[in-house]
Amino acid sequence: MDKDNANPTILNVSELPTRLNKKKAAATGKVAELEVDIVLRRPEYLSAPFCDLPWASDDTDSDDGFTIEPIDEQEIYDLISTISDPEHPLSLGQLAVVNLPDIYITPSPSAAAAADPNTLTQVLVKITPTITHCSLATVIGLGIRVRLEQALPPNYRVDVMIKEGTHSQDDQVNKQLADKERVAAALENATLKGVLDKMLETCT
Amino acid sequence: MSSHDPPTPVTPVTPVTPVKLVPLPPFKPDLYERAWQSVPHPTLPLLATTHQKSVTVFSLSTLSAHSSLTNGHERSVRSTTWKPNLPPHKLCLITGSFDSSAGLWRWEDEGQGGSGSLEVEMTGGVEAASEDKDWELIVVLEGHESEVKSVAFSPSGQYVATCSRDKAVWIWEDVGASETDDEWETIAVLNEHDGDVKAVAWCPDTNRSGRGRYSNDVLASASYDDTVRIWREDDEGEWVCVAVLEGHKGTVWGVQWEPNPKTDRFPRLLTWSADRTIRVWTLKEEEDEAEGAPRHAFGGLGVIPNTMRRSLKEEWNCTAILPTAHTRDIYSATWSPETGRVASSGSDGVIAIYGEEASDVDGAVGVVTEDEAAAELDGDVLMSNGHSQSKPEASKQWKLLSTTPNAHGPYEINHVTWCKRYDAGCPPEKRGVEEMLVSTGDDGIVRPWQIS
Repeated sequence: MDKDNANPTILNVSELPTRLNKKKAAATGKVAELEVDIVLRRPEYLSAPFCDLPWASDDTDSDDGFTIEPIDEQEIYDLISTISDPEHPLSLGQLAVVNLPDIYITPSPSAAAAADPNTLTQVLVKITPTITHCSLATVIGLGIRVRLEQALPPNYRVDVMIKEGTHSQDDQVNKQLADKERVAAALENATLKGVLDKMLETCT
Repeated sequence: MSSHDPPTPVTPVTPVTPVKLVPLPPFKPDLYERAWQSVPHPTLPLLATTHQKSVTVFSLSTLSAHSSLTNGHERSVRSTTWKPNLPPHKLCLITGSFDSSAGLWRWEDEGQGGSGSLEVEMTGGVEAASEDKDWELIVVLEGHESEVKSVAFSPSGQYVATCSRDKAVWIWEDVGASETDDEWETIAVLNEHDGDVKAVAWCPDTNRSGRGRYSNDVLASASYDDTVRIWREDDEGEWVCVAVLEGHKGTVWGVQWEPNPKTDRFPRLLTWSADRTIRVWTLKEEEDEAEGAPRHAFGGLGVIPNTMRRSLKEEWNCTAILPTAHTRDIYSATWSPETGRVASSGSDGVIAIYGEEASDVDGAVGVVTEDEAAAELDGDVLMSNGHSQSKPEASKQWKLLSTTPNAHGPYEINHVTWCKRYDAGCPPEKRGVEEMLVSTGDDGIVRPWQIS
């Protein structure tokens, strides 16, 4: 089968946004946690695909990660950038299908420090398909929605949309991805579920 | 009515006659998984809840499980409908499933010889069905190409409508020689929607009429194509689309007919949508409707199918948009036959209740213009008090009476329905009379609510 895009642009793994870079940049970062991260961080050559979510490791203060610190855009990015592309042996982060600046959390995590577990939080992810007519945009969007709905607490509402102007049928794809009933039915389709499971295999 | 008047700035609606929702203990057991819909039996104290590949029937007397329908569908059961007009020891449900089929199930209380335990239950008894009685899948209605989203029995029980992601509505007729002879025939396949058909609903008996060349039965369908269509059977036995209701700006998740009109007019329609609005539609009833079809009922001639004869059309107008109460998709709304109140729920986990001011219900009815609708969608203007008093403005009659956030904690609420109370917490003289609300959520909880 011909691939929709045989020669996608690929980002170098080291250029992708990570929690670590962010903490280095932030002068007020938590030093102790940072050191733990550095010590426990796997060497780059072992990090393929790179799934070093800081809070997902047993060695850090991850147990109550949901309640102590609000989930921020970087955490959302870490959850979905490691999803595999359905047709390339690369991650959605490497292909720049998902990008940190295109993740929006409402209300903003900095504003909602003492979040009530019942308060609805919207996570909006705008994806950039590798080419404008990529027929797999729906499958990629579905994978992101499923990944986030499985990983996030139930008060999160996940909206996945095609970034404006990057896809020729974005309204149609957006409407499908927003339809709870269609998403539920898609997950009961064995073929589609198989594709999704494979995409999500590379997430830990 | 002029659409050029600038919208008047308004303050949020304050409840007129405050209504409070008080949670009652949920039905037992918890289902622990997404439940889609809970449908009360038309006359008996039973409630059928669809979840995963099964249906759990709860007793409204004991608020616990009565029986369950399992091992009939390969994928989730999305919706169900009770067959009406059966004797109390016989139960019949039709289920619509993501496996593309609809199933007809029966449950019979043979041991009671015609005066079943259900009647005992209704007068205050307690027993759930004994374990050896079970639901049996009798007939599978096959034909849809993809997920069946909704199923509905007509008021007489003669017809069943089903609808699917394949964009079609099917009408099936019971042609069996007797009640136990389950033979069903497809009598219509309606292919005019441009997207998934999300819901079908039959007009109830009250105030329904044959209207010229049509028979009494009237069906409404709601779709992913943002429209609602109304279907009737003409004098040649053909089911035809008599109106396309355009106005919603997103998937129309559902439709319900006015269950108990206060006047002798034709029942109105209630529709709710991913556009976060709930709309009321009214049939323009006039003597000379055969002459010259009203153009704007169809929002332009382009959408009139070639097969539709002009004289067959009905003019339905959006006569109200309920006050804004939701911030995400509205998955469900329910119109009470007792109080005329509407309750709604959806992705935001809020249950809202609205009331219609009793006065002037059958007076001049205003038509909501597109400008006003757009303003309502933007959240800039609340229809209920945003306009000058001189105009006949139907939407002014609807007030928001209460909103209950987090009615299922952080979870989405897929369904709400009004339903009669039979539980021990209700004074005996009010059992079967007093209404409660039942909500069904992604948390697998089916919760009754007392209205106070």
